[in-house]
Amino acid sequence: MISYIGKIAIEYFRWIVGLFRLFFDILYWLIFGPFKGKPAHRQGIFSQMVFVGVRSALIVFFVDIFTGIVLAMQIAYQLEKMGAVLYVASIVAISLCRELSPVLTGLVVAGRAGSSIAAELGSMKVTEQIEALDTMAINPTRFLAVPRFLALLVMLPALTILGNISGILGGFLVGTGNLNINPDLYMQTSFKHLELKDIYTGLIKAAVFGIIIALVGCYEGLNTKGGAEGVGRATTRSVVISFILIILADCIITSIFYFSKI
Amino acid sequence: MSKDAPVISLRNVSKSFQGRPVIENVSLDIFPGETFVIMGCSGSGKSTLLRLMNGAIQPDKGSVLIKGKDIYNMPGEELEELKKTFGMLFQYSALLDSLTVEENVALPLREHTKLAEEIISIIIKLKLSLVGLRGYEKHYPSQISGGMKKRVGLARAIALDPEIVFYDEPTSGLDPVVGGVIDKLVKDLSTKLLITSVVVTHDMQSVFNIADRIAMVHKGKVVALGTKEEIKNSSNEYIQQFIRGNPEGPIDFFKEDIGVIEAFSA
Repeated sequence: MISYIGKIAIEYFRWIVGLFRLFFDILYWLIFGPFKGKPAHRQGIFSQMVFVGVRSALIVFFVDIFTGIVLAMQIAYQLEKMGAVLYVASIVAISLCRELSPVLTGLVVAGRAGSSIAAELGSMKVTEQIEALDTMAINPTRFLAVPRFLALLVMLPALTILGNISGILGGFLVGTGNLNINPDLYMQTSFKHLELKDIYTGLIKAAVFGIIIALVGCYEGLNTKGGAEGVGRATTRSVVISFILIILADCIITSIFYFSKI
Repeated sequence: MSKDAPVISLRNVSKSFQGRPVIENVSLDIFPGETFVIMGCSGSGKSTLLRLMNGAIQPDKGSVLIKGKDIYNMPGEELEELKKTFGMLFQYSALLDSLTVEENVALPLREHTKLAEEIISIIIKLKLSLVGLRGYEKHYPSQISGGMKKRVGLARAIALDPEIVFYDEPTSGLDPVVGGVIDKLVKDLSTKLLITSVVVTHDMQSVFNIADRIAMVHKGKVVALGTKEEIKNSSNEYIQQFIRGNPEGPIDFFKEDIGVIEAFSA
């Protein structure tokens, strides 16, 4: 029993070490690659950005606009009792920007892009393509992980901004359509209490989530073992682990902001 | 030939995976320009031997010398430089799915040289016509047949004009005619471009088509070594069993491979 627990603990420890190693490897290539005449591929980064960002835009838009609508109705249900329905606008805006939009975007992208990164790299691993890169003296981290990392780091905050806007739009639809708040007044109230820090704390979260998705997806993909089944396992693991780490990171970052009064 | 210094030499190399010995105390010399074939049953450790030579896996004991230098005892960057003088043809070609035929062949050139795109496109045309695949430049690996993929893999392996080319089962899974085409390419490369070739295979026809010298590997040990004629006329019972494909003999199929195969797939 104890040896079993020990084994699991060692496995987790190895996994964490591996993840950090990949992270530092990526940073190394990001910083020193250009000096070695081996910068990340611009074409590769752009195609990953299109895949991760542009193709996720529609789903992020829908997820956040519906969240905005639901949120506005749920808050209105409470605030109506106090006759403070107008504040629906600012609560929707703040809770979206600070919390919901980054987290939902992170989860959506983890499910969509993180899984496909793990699947793609995993099938490259089991068909010897990664080994082929290695024997051609092309570093797989630089060639495959760095473009994906950069793309997610940039696109997740960008998608979060889109999410903020679509969520506020959702709240706006409920507020003006159902709660009969004057449109101008709704927008004014939205932005009156929304501060810049509400937005950038959300964007910092989004960037961290982007890093998590890229690292987990690449790590699981590059360490795939055992054929088609292994690819499936890597894909599932990447999504599950990303989800857990995103929520965990959200909790940590939120408490840092909360206790340091940002 | 044997007067030259060996280009690859293995000195008492051992390797085990998860406690199971796969290669045991192997010493080999491979000389410049020769085509050296490593043959043996699946799971005998021959692919591992190849990966020990090309810098992919580190031996537990012993040393691997390329042109007199221990490759697992040199700085990483020197090994990377050395790897650029290798070419490798993989069993399943290992072309990058996301790139076209042309881009696959161009990859080592774009990564490791500062050649202008015009020059690169000339080199690609040259290499692709060498393997008889002009006209397929814009195809993706999923759109061409297994034999064609192997040939693209070969074009990629020789894109940087390597000094040593490693072939992992170059003819397995191909029909005899395409297998013959690949054999001819391997032979041509070594005679025309003076490339040193190391071929891992269990395709007997291919072995006698291309080999200068042959090593027979069984259970991680070299059980026979000699020129093509010596091996052909050898009375070594391992070789005779292997050449004839006889289920009875010193290579005991039922007892032999299981452990090693598990070690490979783990």
